[in-house]
This record gives sequence, C-alpha cells and structure tokens, in this order.
Amino acid sequence: MTTSTELVASVEIAHEARTERVPSGSTGGPVLRVIPGDVVRVAALLGRDPKLAQAMAFGALAGGASLVGLVGTHDGRSFVERAELLRDARPDLVVVLAPHRGDASGLVDLVESLRFGCAHQDPSPHILVSADERVRDRIAAAYPDNALEALPDVRTIAGREALVARLRAVRRRAQGDVVLRDEALEAAGRAMAASAKVDVVLLDVTGGATSLIHARPDGVVLGIHERLGVGAAADRVVARAGLDRVRRWIPRAVEAPALLERVFNRARWPDAVPASVLALSLEMALAREAIAHTLADAERAGVSLEGPWAAPLLVLTGRLAELPRAAQSLLVAIDAFGPNGPALVSRAPGDTLVAAGALAARGRVATMPSAEPIAIFISMWPRRSATVRVSDASGIVEERVARGSFLLVPTTGAVEIVMPGTTVRPNAERLELGVVIDARGRPLALPPRDAERIPTLARWHSALGVLPAEAR
Amino acid sequence: MAWRYSRWSADHPLPLGASERAAKGQEVHAGDVLAAGTTYGTPVKVAGARRLGVAPEDLARVMRVPVGGEVERRTVIARTGRRFARAVSSPIAGRVIHQRADGDVYVAPIVGRWVVRSTLDGQVSRSDDACVTVEGSAWALQGVAAFGPDAVGEIGLGVDAPTDELHPSRIDVRLRDRILICGARATAESITRAHACGVSALVAGAAPAGGLGVVYGEAATASGATTGPEAPTVLCLIGFGSAPLPREVFLPLVAMIGARAAVHTASARLFVFVPENAGDFAQNAPSLALSDDWLSARPMAEHLSQAGMTRFASEIEAEAVTTDGGPVPMANVLAFDAPRTARN
Repeated sequence: MTTSTELVASVEIAHEARTERVPSGSTGGPVLRVIPGDVVRVAALLGRDPKLAQAMAFGALAGGASLVGLVGTHDGRSFVERAELLRDARPDLVVVLAPHRGDASGLVDLVESLRFGCAHQDPSPHILVSADERVRDRIAAAYPDNALEALPDVRTIAGREALVARLRAVRRRAQGDVVLRDEALEAAGRAMAASAKVDVVLLDVTGGATSLIHARPDGVVLGIHERLGVGAAADRVVARAGLDRVRRWIPRAVEAPALLERVFNRARWPDAVPASVLALSLEMALAREAIAHTLADAERAGVSLEGPWAAPLLVLTGRLAELPRAAQSLLVAIDAFGPNGPALVSRAPGDTLVAAGALAARGRVATMPSAEPIAIFISMWPRRSATVRVSDASGIVEERVARGSFLLVPTTGAVEIVMPGTTVRPNAERLELGVVIDARGRPLALPPRDAERIPTLARWHSALGVLPAEAR
Repeated sequence: MAWRYSRWSADHPLPLGASERAAKGQEVHAGDVLAAGTTYGTPVKVAGARRLGVAPEDLARVMRVPVGGEVERRTVIARTGRRFARAVSSPIAGRVIHQRADGDVYVAPIVGRWVVRSTLDGQVSRSDDACVTVEGSAWALQGVAAFGPDAVGEIGLGVDAPTDELHPSRIDVRLRDRILICGARATAESITRAHACGVSALVAGAAPAGGLGVVYGEAATASGATTGPEAPTVLCLIGFGSAPLPREVFLPLVAMIGARAAVHTASARLFVFVPENAGDFAQNAPSLALSDDWLSARPMAEHLSQAGMTRFASEIEAEAVTTDGGPVPMANVLAFDAPRTARN
C-alpha cells in the first residue's frame, strides 16, 4: 500500500545500522522510509556494437546497480567460460542487448550459456531484452523457462530511463513503500536547481555508496551512483583504488598493513565513528578515492563531466557533510571533484535535505532546506602570477596567485571576487570559511615518497586549517 | 549470546559439472561428500536434432547418452531409424554437458574433478545443480568473516589464553586435520605454516588484513573470500588486526577440544557437533568495542555506563560509554552477535 505523501508526518532515513527521523523526535503518524536499497547484481549479454558496453555501464551507474559481468558475442570466451562467469556472478538481472539482427545467433549462444550456468540459480535472474520482436522470440526460445521483459534501446535516453526504473524496482524489492536515497537526492537536486536557476551538483558520500547528481534548471538530472563508500563499502574502495592510493592522502606516515586493518574493521563495523584524528584522516582519504573512482567510472561509461565540473553550486551531503570541520568537507570535495569554474560550495549536514528530496520524489512540493555556504572555490592555472581581489565586509584583499599556490582568504559578510581574464564576479551573502584559490593544477600531483608527500599534504591541510593541531 | 545450539542451514554452492549429488532428505555428516563432478575444457558443439531430422523437443527421446553422461570419441550420442539410420556421434571424449533449445548439444572434455563436502551433520533439504543445502543441529559460533574453503576437523587449542596470539612455533604436523583455536590473532606466518602442516582451519579473534591479502590475493575483502580447496581456511570471529576472545567464547572452545567441528566459509560460522547438553556454553558474551583508531577490537566490561555527549580527539561529538581506557563512542560498541553488515 502506498503512503499518501500528503499524510506523511515524518521521513525515516536508514543509515548503515541506525535510522534517523526527520523531523527528529516525531513518533506518530505515517512515515515515509528512505533506504539505500538492495544491492542489485546485473550481467549484460552484448551484441557487436562497442557502444553497448558503455551504454550498459552508464545505465548501471544511473540505476545504482553493480555490473558484475559483461559477456559479448565476440569476446573470445568459450561456452563453458561464459557459463562459469555468469554462474559465479550470480546476477539478479540479466540485460540482453541485441540492437542488430545480425547479433541474433551470437546472442542465442550467450543465452544458452546463461541457461547452462544459471538455470538452477534461486531466485532465477530476471531477463530484460532490448531487441526487435524476431530476435526476442529466438532468445525466448533459448531460455524457455524464464519470462523475458522487453526493454527499449539502452543507448537512447528513453532506454536508459527504462533500465534505471527497472533496476530501482529491483533494489526496492520486498521493502514495501520506500524511496531510495539516490532518488531522493535527485529530486532534491532538481528542486534546488529550479529554485536557484543555476546548475547544481550534489556530492553525497555515505558508508555504502557515492553519488554525483548534476541538476539543471530546466529539470534535466544526471545521476551517477556507485557502491563505493567510507563505511561498509570501504573495502571496495581499497579493492578498486589500491591501498597506496588511499594511503597517499593521509598526512602522516602510516604502515600499509595497519591501514588495511583499519579499513576492514570499518567495513564490518556499521556506523563506526572515527574517534581519532588518524581514523578521521582515513575516512577523508576513502571519501576522496570513492569520489575519484565514481567520476572515473562515469567517464569510462561515456558520461561527459564538463557540465558537473562547470556547475556554479556544489552541495555536499552524507558523511562528507558531517565531518567535524567545514574545511575537511571542502578539501575532500575540491581534491577529488575539483570544479573547473568558480563554485559556491555548501554543505547540508544531517538528513533534512534527503528527507525533503524524498517528499519531492513523491510529488509533494517540498521546500528544500538551505545548505550552509562554506566557501567560494576558484580554480586557476595562471601562466604568470595573477591578482585576485576579494572584497567583503572588512574591506578589499588582493592576493597574488602563482602556479602551485593553494590558499584560503577568510571573509566576513557579503563577498565579491574579481578575477583576471573574466567578467564573472562570483559572490555570496556569507561564507563560513571564505574564498579558496586553488592553483595546484589538475590532476593533482602528489609526490610518491613520504618525505615529499607528507609536507605537501601538510601544507594543503594547514592552508585551510583542516586537522586539529596535534595531527599536523 | 555468542554460542548457540540451534538448527542451522548451510548452503554448499556447486561448480559447473555436477555428476552426482546427495538426494533431498538424505542424512549426511560433516565431511561426507555431498556432490562430485568434473571441470570442463573447451566444448564442441555437435549438430543434434537437425542432423537426425527430428524436432528439438524430440531429441531427448532418441538420445543414447543423456545430458551429463560421459562419452568416448565416436560414441553414438543419438540415433534414429533402423534401416536408414541417422546418428550423431561424439567427436571427442568427455561429457555431454548441455542440450541447446535448437537441438544441438555440447560435448566437453574433462580436465579435472571436484567434490563438495558437507559442513553440517543433518539432512539434505535442497539438492540441484546449483546448490546442496544441509539442515542440522549443532553448537555454532558466528564469525565476522571467513576465508578459504570449507573445512572439517577436530577442535584443537593453539594458545593458552584468549588474549594470546598464535605463534608459528606452536604449530606442527601433529595438529594435522585440527581446527585450531588461535586466541587474539592468527598471524600470516601462522596461517601459512598451519596450512603446510595440514591444519584444517584457524579460528581467531582477528587476523591481519594485510596477511590475508598476501594469502588470498585480491579475492580477500572484509566480508571474506571463498576459494578453491588448495587455500588455508581462516575464521575471524571479531574483526581484523587484534581482538582478544571473550572468556564466554574461549572457555567453551577449551571444553570442546577434540570435538568434531566444521567451518562454513560462506556464512562465517564454526559448527561444533556435540550434544546440546554437553555444557553450559550459551552464556551472554560481553559487548565489543572498536578502538578509536579502528586498528583492533576488544571485549568490554559487563556493565557499561553512559558518558553522555563527548568530544573526541577527531573533534567529533558523539554519545559515549565509559571504559577503563577512556570514553568510547557508543556507535563503536556492538554486541558480540550484533549484525555486522550494513542493512539495505
């Protein structure tokens, strides 16, 4: 039974082990639940078009599913190898993509492999087929015990949306009347962009997932949701990035084996709190790599990130927004995401934004809670040193910026910035930290040796006052 | 409660190529073969129904060798007619592994054999080509992650106290086929030495994550790793790094030395097959606390008092409990048997 959104008294948001209710303390009345959703494992059987793999990866990222196997008609694997791969993958959902009739025979072979490998899987995988009727009939004949569902071409927007809707339905299975966290965030992003009349990027990092949402004022929303996080999925971040890439972000010498133990313990300790500075630094390092790999996966799937990087408003949510200092949230975001143009960075700690987004996802006109503006971020790569003028309630400050510099100009009250070579004058009513000028260049170059890496990181951390004094 | 006597279910996923399986309802003991089969090389597709001139659905009626049957080279797989016979014969020695919907069949050479053994005394409740499930009663201890293949053996003690770590020098071939209890930590050296000496499995409060990575490779995650039979078996009961076992967990293990036991890797459980009334094992275990730097875990005192909202070194403010070593965030304290995976 669907809860009427008009009657919803509170929204309950599930985290790793705990739930939070918004408004806090409310007990009575109908509750709308927001959940991360089940893990959905998707395998794809692909025809010859090389764009199919990309389109499938894009669809899986947009739907928050794990792509556990890609099998192609021309991948050189034998019948048994394909069957073993699919059996080991244990897919919940199999997508068969056969846009050309010439792919039919090859795909029937792949479906025979699927039947051989997964015929007794319990529950048996749902099969979605994107193909014309004749090809679909041949595929149905090859797997007669399993009903097929038709799917539009996933290379098109309509096809991708249909795939995302199906994936989300599977992620919600057996959970009753719920909103997925990524759905809620997308709705929140759409509402914020419409209200601010500018492009908005939401960057959400939780224990189990990382989301990047780019919402445009015209209502178009791009969502990328990857199962990489700073908690339950922390070990997945290390598996993807490698331990050294996580370790390089920690501004002190740490033994790799001991670091891995911390990551594994965190992954199996739901909602654990980083009580020490080192654990907090590890959480920040995991967040950077989770974001970086989410972006890399999106680029590999053919998603253009030029739009998100140029968005003038960046809002941080989830664990990323709940770090004790605003400078910590800011540094993680700019290290890993690194907007191209000037961007107002805000953070929305707590669950109020997700709760408002959940109501908006259900069609209720919800007022988005205002995020706390923490800084205006300016990225530069000047050939020779350039001057940036920052004016605020205290007066005007001029900063000479050379390549490699990274600095914070603290501000009070209303802020306006004049930059060389552009007529754009970023401004804000009030900033918690001030203006951050980043001329470190991209991609960020961190020296491999501890003797050089640690002072570099310490300089960046101290520029923003990121860590408590004893950790520097 | 750490130890529980209950009716448990253990799934045993099967690789491709099962040729025999325990029947549903069959009584089995831990260590008994549940299923056996073969691994396949590159298969050959053989024209079946088309060549015989029969409809694909009629092929099974004329097959001389059923799907799953072993064949020699030139063995007739299917045949029709009497005077003007048509036959399909196997081009290679191996097994008929699959019949396609269009009536063709695959024959694959046999390149290896495998067996899957039960990890539970009980009755087979499901048996098909994907999985054999056994249900039975046993004392069991739920761990946080297990690595390697399922293991069966007798309980043996590798340490004198629950806070000790297992030293490689304590391991020799006399411990062959034992499930060795390791106290607070099983080091990477002790894991490899135990495997070399034929020890069935190591059960420890914790194991070093880096060492597990060396032994199990990229397959090792915080959730464990299921591997082939050639790897050692390690069950981590509490976490990674170092984690002394609570007395309520360790003393029953001492009392059960010599008892038959099994480690079921997929569920990260230790099953011990002694009668329900063998001892008063089902005692409440103390809560576990994760250290502030996440490097280890330890059992807590029985009664914890709340310290209220506390500001920690990381500047995070959180509800805390008081311990001898200072306040600990309440979120970092879990019951021994609390769920350790994030809910969806």
